[in-house]
Amino acid sequence: MACRVVYPARDIGEIHMFRTPTRSHNRDIQHWRSYLVNIKSQKDFFSGLMFAVIGGSFAYGATSYTIGNGARMGPGYFPLVLGVILALLGALVMFKSLVVETPDGEKIGSWAWKPLFYIIAGNILFGVLLGGLPAFKLPAMGLIAAIFGTTIVVSKAGDVFVLKEVLVLSTVLSIGSYLAFVVLLKLQFPVWPTFITG
Amino acid sequence: MELFDNLALGFGVAFTFQNLIYAFIGCLLGTLIGVLPGIGPVATIAMLLPATYALPPVAALIMLAGIYYGAQYGGSTTAILVNLPGESSSVVTVIDGYQMARKGRAGPALAAAGLGSFFAGCVGTLILAAFAAPLTEVAFKFGPAEYFSLMILGLIGAVVLASGSLLKAVAMIVLGLLLGLVGTDVNSGVARFSFDVPELTDGIGFIVIAMGVFGYGEIISNLSKPEDEREVFTGKVTGLFPTKEDFKNMIPAVLRGTAIGSILGILPGGGALLAAFAAYTIEKKTKLRPGEVPFGQGNIRGVAAPESANNAGSQTSFIPLLTLGIPPNAVMALMVGAMTIHNIQPGPQVMTSNPELFWGLIASMWIGNLMLVILNLPLIGMWIKLLTVPYRWLFPAIVLFCAIGVYSTNNNTFDIWMVAAFGVIGYTFIKLGVEPAPLLLGFILGPMMEENLRRALLLSRGDWTVFVTRGLSASLLAAAAVLLVIVLLPAVKSKREEAFVEE
Amino acid sequence: MKKNDFRSVLWTCLAFCFLAPVGVQAQTYPQKPIRLIVPFPAGGATDIFARTLSQKLAEKLGTAVVVDNKPGAGGTLGSDMVAKAQPDGYTLLLATSSTHSIGPNLNPKMPYDAVRDFTPIGQVGNAPSIMLVPNSSPAHTVQEWIDYARKNPGRLNYASSGNGTIVQLTAELFKAQAGLFVVHIPYKGTALAMPDLISGKVDVLFDSLPTGLPQVRDGRLRALGVTTAQRTPLAPGIPAISDVLPGYESTTWFGLFGPQGLRTELVSRINLAANQSLKDPEVADKLQKIGIEGIGGTPAQFAAMVASESAKWKKIINERKITLD
Repeated sequence: MACRVVYPARDIGEIHMFRTPTRSHNRDIQHWRSYLVNIKSQKDFFSGLMFAVIGGSFAYGATSYTIGNGARMGPGYFPLVLGVILALLGALVMFKSLVVETPDGEKIGSWAWKPLFYIIAGNILFGVLLGGLPAFKLPAMGLIAAIFGTTIVVSKAGDVFVLKEVLVLSTVLSIGSYLAFVVLLKLQFPVWPTFITG
Repeated sequence: MELFDNLALGFGVAFTFQNLIYAFIGCLLGTLIGVLPGIGPVATIAMLLPATYALPPVAALIMLAGIYYGAQYGGSTTAILVNLPGESSSVVTVIDGYQMARKGRAGPALAAAGLGSFFAGCVGTLILAAFAAPLTEVAFKFGPAEYFSLMILGLIGAVVLASGSLLKAVAMIVLGLLLGLVGTDVNSGVARFSFDVPELTDGIGFIVIAMGVFGYGEIISNLSKPEDEREVFTGKVTGLFPTKEDFKNMIPAVLRGTAIGSILGILPGGGALLAAFAAYTIEKKTKLRPGEVPFGQGNIRGVAAPESANNAGSQTSFIPLLTLGIPPNAVMALMVGAMTIHNIQPGPQVMTSNPELFWGLIASMWIGNLMLVILNLPLIGMWIKLLTVPYRWLFPAIVLFCAIGVYSTNNNTFDIWMVAAFGVIGYTFIKLGVEPAPLLLGFILGPMMEENLRRALLLSRGDWTVFVTRGLSASLLAAAAVLLVIVLLPAVKSKREEAFVEE
Repeated sequence: MKKNDFRSVLWTCLAFCFLAPVGVQAQTYPQKPIRLIVPFPAGGATDIFARTLSQKLAEKLGTAVVVDNKPGAGGTLGSDMVAKAQPDGYTLLLATSSTHSIGPNLNPKMPYDAVRDFTPIGQVGNAPSIMLVPNSSPAHTVQEWIDYARKNPGRLNYASSGNGTIVQLTAELFKAQAGLFVVHIPYKGTALAMPDLISGKVDVLFDSLPTGLPQVRDGRLRALGVTTAQRTPLAPGIPAISDVLPGYESTTWFGLFGPQGLRTELVSRINLAANQSLKDPEVADKLQKIGIEGIGGTPAQFAAMVASESAKWKKIINERKITLD
């Protein structure tokens, strides 16, 4: 009978709650898992990861430009140096997240998918309606249509959505925007759809 | 004294009915566009330029100048009320201003911004009037090496902007630096990180990042909290005016901010941008009086100091324009254009050949600042009323104005896609607990730093010691080192205390 | 019978309704405001030129001419916009040598073809460049400066508004013809190079006349020569560099383009209006003050000029191995 090796992972008190049933005999996977669940600060871990990835990408991208040397810096020099620094900082933050204690684990918490979706969708809709999508042969609908569309979509991000209210709001905003931007500031906006103005 | 004679001449010119009207129109328009996020003074002045052809030159310049600093006043309003920095100079005001608004103290915040700006504007104009010529000599001492060292100093100060983790703040600054590098490189003409998208060859716009990260991120984050947890704007608005206590705290901040802004504004090449950041940094490092709110949670000094600094800076940034004909930023470039169209060559001979123009403009700056305070203080009541609008009506309006504002900068729908992307990024930042203000400072300073670093090395033919052999540069770097120690000291101290306690 | 007649009349009327507007359009152009795209920031030389010209142009054409700044990417962003616009005569471009004679030769990834995607309408101006040195410079003439540079190879610097701009190429042409070694220091625009030039940190700048002349008038800088083939009335008293370097010439041209496919009658109308505007004494006077020489001409002359300038700069770029990197 093989003697049970004492996996170091088991000795760390923290993982009591999260211990997975030991179906795997592979010592390495358990080892890795123990570090993962040992994240002291989720926020730090993922932000560190973000920094490391972004820094690395910039540094990688920078190599496609001439680097030059200290005296004659090419366009790639500064981004490369900064990218490397950022990647290192990211790694540091990640390390800190695994080692430094925090009172509550600094969880990221749930993502607010609904508001995120509607606000961003509303914003994109504004662009689509205002300027049209030439690639898809969508004509520009103009400012008024864009305001209505965006207000309706964005309002859905909130808790309450009463269509009548939203339509009134859209009208008020349309009138206000027209007066402020087009009349007073004389900004060049397509106000009405292109097939009306010609 | 000659100065008084000149000022008398100036006021005589500025106080004509026509010029007063134009000053008022300029201030009103400026405030309006400053309040509306995205649309900035550059776009407005560019659009109104043709309208000014018919006007006499003094009136035209007075109106355009009014738009310029009116926008500064308006920009701080949105920064405080809805967390949207309309101008790069309002980024710092957002930090404490918005927190004050959430605690029901929007009135005092707005008043602090207005009064501080007014005081700084007056002082700045005085300096402009009296010391314009000798101050330009100072500007000449600043070569690329000095600018670079100044920016290092600014960046270290930026670490102070964050109230959270120091390490993450530094990372955000570096990230901001990198984002600022997207676009065409000045020294070589290569478009970096632009993925062959033509709109990116001039870099990511400041407005796009500011709207997305500060505006959308904040709104999404707010909406994600259940209704009762959402302390958007606590109904209890406690008074419109700062209290006596507030004033006592504010006054030294305003004085410090004005001093810093006046000095930094003189430097052609963006000194004024640093003014607000520097003032906030210095303010934050001064001891808190007992009973004061910590910085980052609504300290009135965190609003008064940067606002004074950037107003003083924008007044003194007229100096390189009027004396050298060098526009320190895009708005000033437009003013040069306006002057040229009216057959006036900006430069020292403006003072001698068109004294009514020069002094009239200076006098109208005072009048303009006064008008703006008078305009804005009563408006505070109106803004507060606006905040009591239910959030479900307010936030679509904010989103809409962000989108319109962003679109209006270039009339290009591409910017709208970018804002959407940065909205997602901004929300991610909030979830990850990283702060956007250091990122924005890095973003603004990054390209300038690199440009000056490379230029300094080109001029010195690759000699790195140039940064310490030139006196001014060396002293700036020494100051940066001192600042670094000051910044790190609390962190080191607390670690040491921890170590002591454990023992 | 009657019904058929009625029907044919109806069809003829309908046909007219569709055909007539086309004919009417050509005769009543312009019917709405014209957008004049300036691919450079507001307040610069090109922008001021555009605004000065647009007022008179509006008068001659009978409609508003709105100047629209679309800066970016050295002028390519705005130019690209016009290249992809409708050739209806309502979107025009004020181009310069940077966008159509230099850029295409330097940037392999131009979003437009400078020749194919545009219809040349006419040249409107020429701006010479001026050789500026700080007051502390030991040279008072072009020849003295060349000797000074020959004695200090590699020790002197010249400023420019960026890699691949006319400012840099003018200097490179000078270096090529005089056989000099001077180091290039790029800035984000000549205005920003001024403090360093005035204080002597850089030794020479070949700025365009509109932006350089005021500094000379103020006595902050010394002008050694102009880059036109002969002395120019815009800068009296300043000799031409070609006196010392025979054949040296470098000017920035300004011209109007429309998108490709613009109808000839519209081209002629706009060309005529532009030429008339340039002859107007008020416009000519303003241009002179700015330092731009108003030059008109036919579309064919314009096209030929652009082509020859393009060839000239291409030669320099290849010889001096100027790249965007």
